[in-house]
Amino acid sequence: MERQIINKKKRVFSVEPNKIPPSEVFTRKYTSHLVPALKKLNMNKNSSQVNQLTVKHEVDMALALSAQEFAWSRFLLQKLSSSNNPTTATSSSSNGIRIQERSGKEGGGDEDGEIEEKLRELQKLLPGGEEMNVEEMLSEIGTYIKCLELQTIALKSMVQDTT
Amino acid sequence: MMMMMNGEATEEAELFLNCTDMSVLERQRAHLNYHHHPGFFSNSSTVNGGEIDGFLASAGLDLPGIYGDTTVYSDARLSVSPGNVTTESGNFKKRKFDCVDTETKVCNEKKKMMINREVAVDEEEEEKSKITEQSSKSIMKMKNKTKKEQNSFSNDSSKVTKDSLRTDYIHVRARRGQATDSHSIAERARREKISERMKFLQDLVPGCDKITGKAGMLDEIINYVQSLQRQVEFLSMKLATVSPRLDFNIDDIFAKEVVSAPMTNLPNTVMPPHMMVNSGYPHDMVNSGYVHFNPMQQVVTSSDPLSCFNNGQSATMWDSDVQNLYSSLGV
Repeated sequence: MERQIINKKKRVFSVEPNKIPPSEVFTRKYTSHLVPALKKLNMNKNSSQVNQLTVKHEVDMALALSAQEFAWSRFLLQKLSSSNNPTTATSSSSNGIRIQERSGKEGGGDEDGEIEEKLRELQKLLPGGEEMNVEEMLSEIGTYIKCLELQTIALKSMVQDTT
Repeated sequence: MMMMMNGEATEEAELFLNCTDMSVLERQRAHLNYHHHPGFFSNSSTVNGGEIDGFLASAGLDLPGIYGDTTVYSDARLSVSPGNVTTESGNFKKRKFDCVDTETKVCNEKKKMMINREVAVDEEEEEKSKITEQSSKSIMKMKNKTKKEQNSFSNDSSKVTKDSLRTDYIHVRARRGQATDSHSIAERARREKISERMKFLQDLVPGCDKITGKAGMLDEIINYVQSLQRQVEFLSMKLATVSPRLDFNIDDIFAKEVVSAPMTNLPNTVMPPHMMVNSGYPHDMVNSGYVHFNPMQQVVTSSDPLSCFNNGQSATMWDSDVQNLYSSLGV
């Protein structure tokens, strides 16, 4: 443990002190959104138990607020603000219109249809995925995955902190 | 100089002088002749020998200079790959792909123009296409990109027609044996974009590099996203049960998460093993996760980083840690 402290002290100065990697930016934003929200929840609820759904709601809200440069965060915010019952990103059932158009133009083996199916599924996973065309969706999925990973790290450490 | 050229070159020089509608290749040769006398001879010989690569590669380097374009731009565009993009935020990615989009649109529009009026160029194209059939399609695509970028830069009207001629030409050459209408070209460009992004996703999702083929990769990606979402759900549940009892110390949280992150193999460490088994995780994931879970628990952080965090020096302190975080997450 002490060695870690010593190691950290050694690493104080870096070549580019002003450069903050995006992952760190996101993590900071995320924790700064979520922690006060949870505190507020705690205070408001007082004696009654904190509802699991509301916590999930706050979790998603913090995610959306910390990643506002991405399209999917807008859709997530919409979803969250429109409904009091927080839904996960997987609940939507509408079809990807654009994908259907494209599948009509494909050469049309089974493989292509399979891929279209999977792309459609992926679209469902991403908040707002159905409103995007495929290329957009694929790049958004990349950022979404990244943010989910960072979110899990943040949540993990929060849970650890409190246990 | 004229004496040194072979007959074909002489014709081309004349063509260059006489007609404005010229095939790309002839114009390139003429330009090279004009600008680089020593180089031309060797280049023309390679063309006649049927190897386009050296010729057009050098032409690709020279032409921006000839047209007064900024080489920097096209080089930068060419060198941007999904790998380079990963460290930036989503905006940057969008911008890069937007640029490619606009270029394609520009070229498609010009192509449509050209399809309607083209007659004289056909003979020359046929002749040149015999040579070009020997060259690989990938090289053509690269040159397509080069030409596309050059097209977007040149605004002169006469140059535009020549460029669109050139664009048309390149497109036809590349698409020998396939439909050349703008419809399928747009389709093909779209598919290329999609496979570009799939490659990027492949780097992002752990365990995807072994899988080839879109369907398998898409499966992996779907599974990964679903597992991440489930993890988040589980963690928030846990948080809900735990949170009323304790107040959150944000600095400690941040310290812990940054310190512990490098040690974890991220997706596997979250759930205690019995929970993971119940939720249907594959068995090996459970075991490996448990192994990783222990070291993380033993990491104890002091509150010493606290002061650094408040002073704003945290960027420097966490730099290397976050670099580890970055690398562990495969970005």
